[in-house]
Amino acid sequence: MYLPPRMSTKEQNERIEMLQGTLDLLILRTLLLGPTHGHAIAKAIEFNSEDVLQVEQGSLYPALHRLIKRGWISFEVGTSENNRQAKFYRLTPKGRRQLVVETSKWDKLAAAIGRILRPAEQEGDS
Amino acid sequence: MSLRKRMLDDMDGDIRDHIAHETQDNIDRGMAPDEARYAALRKFGNVGQVKENTRDVWSFVWLEQLGKDLRFSLRMLRKNPSFTLVAVLTLALGIGANAAIFTLVRGVLLRPLVNRDEDHLIFVLQNVNGVADPSSVFSVPEIQDIRARVKTLTQIGEFSTNPFTMIGLGEARVVRGGVVNGSYFEVMGLHPVLGRLLDQRDDGPTAEGAVVLTYRFWTTVLKSDPSVIGKTVRLDSLGARSATVVGVLEPSIPYPAETEIIANIVTSPHHLSATMVTGRSHRMTGLFGRLAPGVTLDQASAELDGIYATMVKDYPEHYSKTSKVHIEAKLLRDQVTSRARTVLLVLLASSGLIFIIACSNVANLILARTVRREGELGIRAALGASSGSLRRTLLAENLLLCGAGAALGVLVARPMVAILARYASRFSVRALELTVDSTMLWVGAGLALLAAILLAFVPRLPSANASQGIAHASGGTRVAGGTNRRLRIFAMVQIAACFVLLAGASMLVKTLLSLQAVQTGLDMHHVLTFTLPVTTYGRTPEQITTFYRETLRRIKDVPGVDSASMGAVVPWRDSGIFGPGLQFTTDGFVRGAGEDYPRAQFRPISPGFFASLGVPILEGRDFKDSDRQSSEQVVIISQSTAQRMFPNQSAIDHHVTWTDPVIKYIPGFVGTPLRIIGVSADVDDEHIVPGPLITVFLPFEQMPFAGRLFVHTSADPYALVTPITRVVHSMSAEQPLERAATLADVRAEVLTPDRLNTFVFSGFALVALIIAVVGVAGVLAFSVSARTREFGIRLAIGAQPRQLLAGVIIQGAVMAGLGILAGSLGGFVLARLASSYFQSVQMPGAIVVIVSAFVLLAAAVIASALPAIRAARVDVIQALRAD
Repeated sequence: MYLPPRMSTKEQNERIEMLQGTLDLLILRTLLLGPTHGHAIAKAIEFNSEDVLQVEQGSLYPALHRLIKRGWISFEVGTSENNRQAKFYRLTPKGRRQLVVETSKWDKLAAAIGRILRPAEQEGDS
Repeated sequence: MSLRKRMLDDMDGDIRDHIAHETQDNIDRGMAPDEARYAALRKFGNVGQVKENTRDVWSFVWLEQLGKDLRFSLRMLRKNPSFTLVAVLTLALGIGANAAIFTLVRGVLLRPLVNRDEDHLIFVLQNVNGVADPSSVFSVPEIQDIRARVKTLTQIGEFSTNPFTMIGLGEARVVRGGVVNGSYFEVMGLHPVLGRLLDQRDDGPTAEGAVVLTYRFWTTVLKSDPSVIGKTVRLDSLGARSATVVGVLEPSIPYPAETEIIANIVTSPHHLSATMVTGRSHRMTGLFGRLAPGVTLDQASAELDGIYATMVKDYPEHYSKTSKVHIEAKLLRDQVTSRARTVLLVLLASSGLIFIIACSNVANLILARTVRREGELGIRAALGASSGSLRRTLLAENLLLCGAGAALGVLVARPMVAILARYASRFSVRALELTVDSTMLWVGAGLALLAAILLAFVPRLPSANASQGIAHASGGTRVAGGTNRRLRIFAMVQIAACFVLLAGASMLVKTLLSLQAVQTGLDMHHVLTFTLPVTTYGRTPEQITTFYRETLRRIKDVPGVDSASMGAVVPWRDSGIFGPGLQFTTDGFVRGAGEDYPRAQFRPISPGFFASLGVPILEGRDFKDSDRQSSEQVVIISQSTAQRMFPNQSAIDHHVTWTDPVIKYIPGFVGTPLRIIGVSADVDDEHIVPGPLITVFLPFEQMPFAGRLFVHTSADPYALVTPITRVVHSMSAEQPLERAATLADVRAEVLTPDRLNTFVFSGFALVALIIAVVGVAGVLAFSVSARTREFGIRLAIGAQPRQLLAGVIIQGAVMAGLGILAGSLGGFVLARLASSYFQSVQMPGAIVVIVSAFVLLAAAVIASALPAIRAARVDVIQALRAD
């Protein structure tokens, strides 16, 4: 179980926390296509979700660091298209396996929430 | 560089880069540069927040969490200063006592000796009729037999205690000395700090006299003067010899006796005499050995015991028929600490009890506090705090309490160790070299952690059931029956543990009181004693006796001196110096088959000895100046001796004859009958608790052993020390005169270990009593405040305040009573258990138990009085409105 790093009452914080798992999944999915840098990941998520998911781009960074720490992604320093030094993130084999786990978890969750929203069955467990 | 550092290092750059990308995208979409940048920043969010959240990813979450909990707890504790103070002080006492005792136990029992390969270094111990004899000594012929036959020991070192009068290093003084053979230091595995130690070249009768100084003597008396090496000293013990100081020994454990110098054999004429060399029953040498490789202690013991049994068979006339001696190889380390072991383990157990009491008490405080905090905890549970995180908050609080307690405890433990070390040095010399090191901190920290964890599981947490929690929050204090029961149980544990300590301490106090009240039969306050050793250097025996006679004559002329005389033993202080006494017989006495002759202590004394000590002569006469070497050999016997040997008749003009095989080696003793000329009252100078001591007194001119001066005065005894010293030094400037003390002070000095024992254990018991009283008072106060409403109702329907008062006090008394019951049961089991491991465990007498129980009960009643008065004064209206 993940313990929130701080028991703050700030709303903003709560929202970031709620999005965390999802954001991790999206980052992993994005990197499946190949290594890229932070801004490109944010763009890709926005583009692929057809701008439905309006994420504060800043929240990407704690997520990236967390994934690095867990060893699901790695990084190397390279030169971005506008000739700047930037970190390029890459999916590790461990991350690839995790993506499968996370995806199936997400499917389950989505299905469960779907069942709740469509009034039919009892509450599902998350 | 760590992953964390590499990731965090260029975070600013990453963010700047990101925003630059986004701005560029916006410009590409046709925004104005400024607008593009603002849009990018908006989209990115709060940069500072992002950085902080990112850094948080890398921090140790639980550690930060704990830090937060600690800060929170600190605030909570600051709001309850009285609770915090009591808890911290209680824990400090519990932890401090344990840290101090543990340091002592570790230093004395567990630390290895400085001697090389000390796990192979053994002492050859004799068990006489199953009792270990700490001074186990052997004779030279016995040692030769052992050395010739033993295979389990590679080497044997010999040590005999031998006091010298030393002239040449500062003032003439009596030094505690040891005489050793050439292999002694090699066997002991010790090193010099200066010069060299004694070795094979110093062995044997033809070597040059050589002396090694012990570290303590060199540093304290000689002020670490390095120029002592090479100096020549004159050593006097039954004949004078000169010796060269060759070295200083490193600090090490002196065993079997504390020594100031260690000399080779030629320095002691006695060691070279036929008495020593050929006398099989002249035993005065302790043996040390090194186990051969691969040999166990048991194997060595078995072999040594076998060799001893063979000797007993070969020379039956030299061995006692009644006492069975068995030989055991004992690690020197264990032998050195054998006397301290029991005392220290008892101390350790007592401090363990103190720790239990302290923890129970703090547990009680915490329980009561948690009940008051049920509301707060309930709300936190309802808001979604998991029971784990609630536990963690409580743990943080306990950690703070226990940490503070441990810090304070370790602070008080330092001086405690100093006091305890001085105390323990009476039982083991190892305590003298005790140092306080980081172990104490670790022990303190360990105990604190243990206490904190135990205490965190004491209170029951509110269930996550929100409605109940909220109800508590709004409804105020409500005492769950379970909590109340737990409080009582902890209070009873405290009382039980306290009772055990109290009973133990009372037993010691009672013993000490009876020791101090003992009638010794001596004029304790008016007799001044001195050590006035016989110096033989350059004197004939006639000159020696003349010297003493003349010295006594001059001392008697000193104003204030009633009488002066010589003896050989300062009561109690010198007890045991003549061993178990000598075998003797009297006219007409027939010993039973297979029995030894009875043993008597022998005391060379000068005329006037009995008068000086205030001991009456019951029959016959005292010695006279005319009882000299050349005249008839006469003795005086003690009353007990007379009654034992001559029941129902007068002992006067009967005879005493020494039968002990040893006497032929001791100059002055003869095997011919000695006429009894007097019977004195009993003087037990051997035992603190006087018993009938079989004693034979001899005129000191017929056996010039006497080395103790006794002066009787009706004035202030200590005022005589200077004039008497002047008189002695006017006779001979080199004559040492030492250790002046009245008999009362000698007795006090000898009783010091008992007094210290009593002091330490009473201190423990007092601490326990205080904590337990606070505990009982706390529990009752809590229970009273929780029952305010009940009391209000009872008062409203006509109960008398007196009844409420009595009710609460009875509650306290019942708690104490049950605690005492549990304590006496536990104590009984403990004592039983202990007595199967140690020989000297006694059950306390009934009076002691009753007195302790009464003290504890009284304390509990007094402790419950305060809350009881509060209960009786409950304001009815207030109480009914309270809920």
